[in-house]
Amino acid sequence: MRPLRMALTKGRLEKDTVALLEKAGIDCTQVHEKGRRLILPVGDGSMEVVLSKAADVITYVENGVCDLGVVGKDTIMEHGTRFFEVMDLGFGRCRFALAGPKGVDFYAGYREKVVASKYPNVTRAFFENKQMDVRVIRIEGSVELAPLLGLADGIVDIVETGTTLKENGLEVKETVADLSARLIVNTASMKLRKKQIEELVARLEGAKKTC
Amino acid sequence: MKHNRMITPEGMKDILLEECTLRRTLREKAASRLRRSGYREVVTPGVEFYDLFDPSHTGFAQEDLYKMTDNKGRLLVMRPDCTLPIARLAATRLQALPRPLRLWYDEMVYRNNPGLDGRDDEQLQCGMELLGAGGLKADLEALFLASRILQDMVPGYRIELGHAGIFQGLSEELPVDDEGREAIRRAIEAKNYAALSAMLDEIPDTPAVQALQKLPRLFGGPEVLHEARALCGGSRASEALSYLQNLYEKLCDLGLSDHVMFDLGLVQRNDYYTGVVFSAYIPGEGEAVLSGGRYDSLLDWFGQPMPAVGFALKIDAVARSLMREQGIVCPAPQLLVFGEKGQETKALLYMQDRQEQGVICEYAVCETMEQAKDYALSSGIHRLAVVGEQVREVEV
Repeated sequence: MRPLRMALTKGRLEKDTVALLEKAGIDCTQVHEKGRRLILPVGDGSMEVVLSKAADVITYVENGVCDLGVVGKDTIMEHGTRFFEVMDLGFGRCRFALAGPKGVDFYAGYREKVVASKYPNVTRAFFENKQMDVRVIRIEGSVELAPLLGLADGIVDIVETGTTLKENGLEVKETVADLSARLIVNTASMKLRKKQIEELVARLEGAKKTC
Repeated sequence: MKHNRMITPEGMKDILLEECTLRRTLREKAASRLRRSGYREVVTPGVEFYDLFDPSHTGFAQEDLYKMTDNKGRLLVMRPDCTLPIARLAATRLQALPRPLRLWYDEMVYRNNPGLDGRDDEQLQCGMELLGAGGLKADLEALFLASRILQDMVPGYRIELGHAGIFQGLSEELPVDDEGREAIRRAIEAKNYAALSAMLDEIPDTPAVQALQKLPRLFGGPEVLHEARALCGGSRASEALSYLQNLYEKLCDLGLSDHVMFDLGLVQRNDYYTGVVFSAYIPGEGEAVLSGGRYDSLLDWFGQPMPAVGFALKIDAVARSLMREQGIVCPAPQLLVFGEKGQETKALLYMQDRQEQGVICEYAVCETMEQAKDYALSSGIHRLAVVGEQVREVEV
């Protein structure tokens, strides 16, 4: 049987995950010395780590080429659901928030509101739950620009400290969802390799508690 | 205007050569097993009225259905599932036949998946429905058939069992509305422990809440039944557990203990299931390849109440996994038959004789024997029959 394969979101989540794996007693030397390699053995060889972009972690796990993945709740909300979400890893905490120009009531008036976001699915779902019609515009870069330029009444984006918002005359109007890194598992892997996966989850739970 | 004549729509694909051969073999394996068990084939239309798959009754999401309209403007869908059309048949045209009805099918189903996620929108499903029979014997028959069909294809399969009564029993004790119940069901289905806890924390703590909290973790071997029993006292859920225990013992008697597991958090989207539910997995496929269960109240909706059980197998998913693991190749013909000038018809008749002996033959359509030889070499055919006044067969 091939090693248990875990996809990690490159960047900060990768570092936090590696720290957690090491705390759980899984050797990650190869990840530290990865060079340009993208598939890296960890621990005693019964597991390997794959590095990829956040949305791809979901794709690899959904299609079963990776058994597990570590990805932000933001990406899960935007991109997919056909896998098991088994653990809140506790790091990468931030939130999705609706923000708009300071001192302006976003909900005032009957005119249709325009909302810019890098996360159109999350935005649409949020307003659909409110039974509210809005026009969603997808923006790829700095979303804060859209209300400043007059394209949008508000934005839905990830907020950590709120500094960028403040410096651009924007403020949080409402929290859409609290976010953190999650451990996800492919549906079939969960059934066919249950023991191995549960052991790993238990070790990670243990390591998380000692954080 | 841009022409798309050279490509296929997203989610659709061509199935070629070896894969067709393999697929045909798998279909025949399943069909043979079903026919030998007394099942009779039905073919329902590829296009049906939207009303048959009405999301509020069937659990299909509106956006998952391929829709169009008929010439009166009524909404039609491309069949997303075969169970509902067969339930319709059983309640209408086959109403007068003696019960139970044993029916099987082998059809394309269509689901509009979100873009670019690599899933097929068109899938070949082969399955059975046993209508008009309730209880343990019927469930055993369905499960045994599923296991025999899988055994014929991928001996490393696993079937997991759940029971719709567990979630239904526990959730009806909760002070939540249908929407809240659906949200809880989704969290359990996705094994989303965090979201489930958040929802259940807002409800007064009762034994049912505690049991639901643990439900997504209750999967694995028969020990989960014992664990679950401690959680569900004296309710509909505990009846379901006893039933599963009983079923499991019977499946063990059939020598299937290595292939059977439990997932008590198996709470399928199709909310027409009422009793045992099951899914099967095979190595190398990221999703279940077979799913089914008991749906005793579905036929009420068609005005002909009767218990029923059935399952569907995704033939293409099994074929894909076998192709990946084994790299199956399509054998070349065994014999090329070349007719010399004036012997064209004699060559055809000779080919027919050889075919009747079971040899796979191809008719050479080229002018000279040299060309026939070259063609045989390039297509991997090892024998050449030259039909002149006399017939001779040579190795190439």
